[in-house]
Amino acid sequence: MRLQPFELELVIEPQRWQQGRVAACRQALAAHGEPLRWAITAAEQRPEGQWLRLEAVLLV
Amino acid sequence: MVAAGSRAAGVSEPLPTLLVIPTGIGCEQGGFAGDALPVARLLAAASDCLITHPNVMNGAALYWSDPRIHYVEGWSLDAFAKGSLRLRPQRRQRIGVLFDAGIEPELLLRHRQVLAAARATLGLDIGPELVSDEPLGVRLSQASSGSSWGQLEQPGALLRAGSRLKQAGATAIAVVARFPDDNGSDALQAYRNGSGVDALAGAEAVISHLLVRELQIPCAHAPALAPLAPMAELDSRAAAEELGHTFLPCVLVGLSRAPDLCPASEPWRSQELAIDQVGAVVAPAGALGGETVLACADRGIPIVAVRSNSSLLQVDAAALDLAVVPAADYSAAAGLVLAWREGLDPRALMRPLSAC
Repeated sequence: MRLQPFELELVIEPQRWQQGRVAACRQALAAHGEPLRWAITAAEQRPEGQWLRLEAVLLV
Repeated sequence: MVAAGSRAAGVSEPLPTLLVIPTGIGCEQGGFAGDALPVARLLAAASDCLITHPNVMNGAALYWSDPRIHYVEGWSLDAFAKGSLRLRPQRRQRIGVLFDAGIEPELLLRHRQVLAAARATLGLDIGPELVSDEPLGVRLSQASSGSSWGQLEQPGALLRAGSRLKQAGATAIAVVARFPDDNGSDALQAYRNGSGVDALAGAEAVISHLLVRELQIPCAHAPALAPLAPMAELDSRAAAEELGHTFLPCVLVGLSRAPDLCPASEPWRSQELAIDQVGAVVAPAGALGGETVLACADRGIPIVAVRSNSSLLQVDAAALDLAVVPAADYSAAAGLVLAWREGLDPRALMRPLSAC
């Protein structure tokens, strides 16, 4: 087991964002490891969807 | 504790409320040394049942114990908000103490004397203690947002030691890890002057998150550091960390009555707290992007967004497309919680009256 700092920027389709914000973020992070600690540190509503920057420490 | 059946006539039932002040992002209130404790006390009085986390409550040598306040570490707070854990209030925990093998003998002695004092002076049940089988190797870092983060070089050593403490009868664990000394960086000076980010906070959160995830019992962390030279212009909000030789007393007091963590798959018992009982979550207006707040948003729990508690983040309701109830400051937030607890529509308290 190793702890890995990680940052990710992504856009989430609006309906998916409204249906489950935690699940949307966790799913995006899970592709890279298990999120031990994470937060949205920048966000913006854009025409294409919800833009986010996530900062995390992952278990990999 | 949320106790039923003992309320005087005219006294409303508790309104369980979450107070979240994220650590390591430079919050004006709660970004220093337990300096959101007055906020917690006020919201506990307004709600009669406040669930909050160590960053709010820990003032190093200073602490406040209130049976209405439930001390819940961040990983478990997230799990509670997602509905995967419930909280079972306890009168007493047996606190195991985990020392990092990287702590020098003199500093270790100082911490062991805190344990002795907590037994003798506060009557706390301090359980088994041990030293990790190798140094934990705490490393501090900063993310691109400026938030403090950190990690451990030897997470396995932390988990092995925590498991041994639990097997030896600990029902909660206080961890003391040796943090790198800072001999006067600009960031430390800014923090002590009341304008910076707590550089230790991110790594502290990682340590306690990892342990709680593995052991599923209450855990909290105190850093072990060499003392700093006194500073005349020390900001009041950071002062609690410079009163003693360790940051451990507040952790022991907080854990001493922390609620047990109960998997949602287990049968529900009376007195337990579950997320569907929570009536509000209170958080800084610009720091709404943490898992607890978002999980509450997903469940439709009212979010009170406190404008006065600024930080280095600008993750607000507009940025996240969230519905929130704004509050100018924590006094206003407490007023909202009290109004909801009394069954009042807060809009009825404003003039001119707004249309339905």
